[in-house]
Amino acid sequence: MYGKGLRTLSISTAAVMAVALGMAFFYAPLEAEQGFLQKIFYVHVPLAIVALCGFVVGGLLAIQHLRTRDPRWDMRSYVTIHMSLIFAVGTLITGSIWAKGSWGHWWVWSEPTLVSFLIVFLLYATYQPLRFAIEDPERQARYASVFAITAGAFVPMNFIAVRLSTAYLHPRVLGSTSNLPPQMALTFLVSLLGIALLFATLCKYELTAKHARSQLRALRRRLAEQDAGVQTVRRARSAAPADYEQQRGGRSPATQPQRDPGRPSASPQPSLSTQSVGRPGA
Amino acid sequence: MMSLLPLGELPALPLHEAGKYVAGAYVVLFLLVLIYVAIMAVRLGRVERELGELLELSSQRPAPPSDTLDLGRPPAAPVGAPSE
Repeated sequence: MYGKGLRTLSISTAAVMAVALGMAFFYAPLEAEQGFLQKIFYVHVPLAIVALCGFVVGGLLAIQHLRTRDPRWDMRSYVTIHMSLIFAVGTLITGSIWAKGSWGHWWVWSEPTLVSFLIVFLLYATYQPLRFAIEDPERQARYASVFAITAGAFVPMNFIAVRLSTAYLHPRVLGSTSNLPPQMALTFLVSLLGIALLFATLCKYELTAKHARSQLRALRRRLAEQDAGVQTVRRARSAAPADYEQQRGGRSPATQPQRDPGRPSASPQPSLSTQSVGRPGA
Repeated sequence: MMSLLPLGELPALPLHEAGKYVAGAYVVLFLLVLIYVAIMAVRLGRVERELGELLELSSQRPAPPSDTLDLGRPPAAPVGAPSE
């Protein structure tokens, strides 16, 4: 179950985030050039790293989905990319605030790191509309996985391309962390851990919520089927992956033939006690 | 004039000016988490309502025979179903 370990993870996240916040303001020294403004570094950079890693992980989970055809991998990939997008929004906003304080501008188009991150963000912003545009759940999952893999491969390529570019206005973090004073480096690593834990916790919450809704829908569908003998629950168009049971059953309700409620069906529906109501693998 | 200066050579802001930017950045993170928690709370309320409807529906049904649904018991796992 997705809810397993959620409490421990939540408490760990809150604790590490609190420690990171305390270290950023009371332990890490003031930076010589930027002074107090550099404290944004401890929230902006971890957000960016976790968001980009999330996009790559979403692609890896999509590979697993295409390999196994198990809709649960599609759900995980969807949730990871969804959460990465939220973190990317946070990165862009905190980055803009930092740019305004540091450079006097909310956005600098000549800065390759900023623009490349925006490109990645806009690329992934099309992920949800792509899913929404496809009604058939199986096709939706397959196409979304292909997108996630392609875009996921683009992220490290984009990162490398930016680092190979000559304009080094934006501060380098990865690779120059060793140049940071030990207090700053430690604070940065704790902040990174805190943001990564926050990402994992929110993903787990999202998966647990989606799983619970999926189970509820499955139960409602079974009850409706048992009462009327007719498939009455249709799936509304959604960008989110379809219910596990619906996908794993092989056919979506929209494609299932309607049966005459007065006539017994050729293959009688098994009773609820012999079906898995609560499990995704029904 | 500001745009003509090399960005890396801009002087550090004094604490009273930098403070609002730093606070803004941390508030953004806090708000993102807060909005997410609020959305999750709405979803939880919806799940709770649906669960209540289903419980009401099951209570209105006639008593099931022994081989049909028992909502109080966890359902039997199907053979071959992958475990999470």
